[in-house]
Amino acid sequence: MAPALVGFALAGLALASSHPPRAPDNPHTPGAARRQVAYPATLAPGEGRVLAEQHCLMCHSAMLITQQHKDSTGWEKTLALMEKWSAPLDSAGHRNLHAYLLRRYGPRSGHAPDAPPGGVQRTP
Amino acid sequence: MNRLTRRAFLAAGARAGLGAAALAALPRWTRAALAPDAPGAERIVRNDWPEHWETTVEALGRSFLTPERAFFVRSHFPVPRLDAGAHRLEVAGLVRSSRTYALDELRDLPAAEAVHTLECAGNGRGLYHLASTSGTQWERGAVGTARWSGARLATLLERAGVRPEARHVWLEAADAAPLPGAPRFLRSIPLGKAMDDALLVWGMNGAPLPTLHGGPLRVIVPGWYGMASTKWVTRIRAEAQPSDNHFMAKGYRYAYPGADPAAAPPVETVRVKSLITRPLEGAHLARGSVRVAGFAWAGPAGLDGVEVSSDGGRNWVAARLTGEEHALAWRAWEADLDIGARGTVTLAARATDGAGEAQPEAAAANAGGYGNNSIHRVTFHVE
Repeated sequence: MAPALVGFALAGLALASSHPPRAPDNPHTPGAARRQVAYPATLAPGEGRVLAEQHCLMCHSAMLITQQHKDSTGWEKTLALMEKWSAPLDSAGHRNLHAYLLRRYGPRSGHAPDAPPGGVQRTP
Repeated sequence: MNRLTRRAFLAAGARAGLGAAALAALPRWTRAALAPDAPGAERIVRNDWPEHWETTVEALGRSFLTPERAFFVRSHFPVPRLDAGAHRLEVAGLVRSSRTYALDELRDLPAAEAVHTLECAGNGRGLYHLASTSGTQWERGAVGTARWSGARLATLLERAGVRPEARHVWLEAADAAPLPGAPRFLRSIPLGKAMDDALLVWGMNGAPLPTLHGGPLRVIVPGWYGMASTKWVTRIRAEAQPSDNHFMAKGYRYAYPGADPAAAPPVETVRVKSLITRPLEGAHLARGSVRVAGFAWAGPAGLDGVEVSSDGGRNWVAARLTGEEHALAWRAWEADLDIGARGTVTLAARATDGAGEAQPEAAAANAGGYGNNSIHRVTFHVE
């Protein structure tokens, strides 16, 4: 239990002190075997990272961002929803945060859902 | 049982080199995460907070019932730390007699217990490999089966006297986002489903329902994806219409980019699906008879059967359904394959439900990444 607790505690302290959170435990290193982490627990460096830390991490961990691949429309919709839910972001912050998210967590080479005739999928 | 005592909390912090003052300064989320029901080795952390923890396939394969310490966790908002002694459930809305229950009063209701499988609607989202998507990229382990104990939701509704105009039951929860403008989590289900087999539960696998799994009180909606089984339920309201809350009208819809989610089919009953738990991906096995096994489950049509193929889907053989059988719970299956040649083998498992619906080779993707019931394949090596 201790390694997991230490990991959580240190990550939390890092957030509380606004310093960059520590890197995620590597599940393949000794001592971290009890905590399997699927994605980076810290945001990628770059202009806009502090904005993301200030405005996103109040509600969810960085992993909810670092696992995403969204196009411009996708990030725009996410920011619009968060602002609708009262995330305090002015227009300059919106632009900068959108640019950061798109630059660091943009679309990957995958496939888009194919809309069937009628535009919706069958009811399961 | 699910919270660290202050002493244990400080001791954990001391091991981390943190003083009491530093611990007190930790964000609420982190304090919650210090609870002893940390993810452990049997769950993969896909999001630290809110907790999105996926059970490993290896752990799922160890038992028919998924232990609560290994059961997947999916929360929308911070886990509310509710005092079971002070917790209340209100039954209200279109009923003749509204009433508020303490947990002890609920325990006096006729007991109900059932084994059901819960699967997150987004289980497999990450396997769609969408170019642009949203939400947690679950793979295979946002599913589990437990013995749930409590009372039938119908008992409460019958005692309240549901008015004839009521058609839906709204399930309101205690969890809320730190952002004041975010709606509280709320799902509604048809009254018929609520009266049929929905449960109000406070026990999981014979123990008090852990906080992370909705304790002290949650709803279980058998055969529906997990979002319907509202955790930390505080109020049950009979209403004439389904809720138009964000989590009903916009979230959990089989929608495509650009389409109006409100006009898209809602995510409700689970799709037929199977999971290979043996062998594990990449396993090295000896030639000869190879036992393969897993679980399969389905929605209201029930599970009809499971077939397996070890030759790329050219030939399928029926697997044996084994072990316990419960309505709307997964069923264990197994098959013995004779594999005489060295090499790499890809095993596929395909389940079919009682309506004849079989798992597709590749489920049609949707923008939200819901309902991925593509056939599971596992590659292993024969030596």
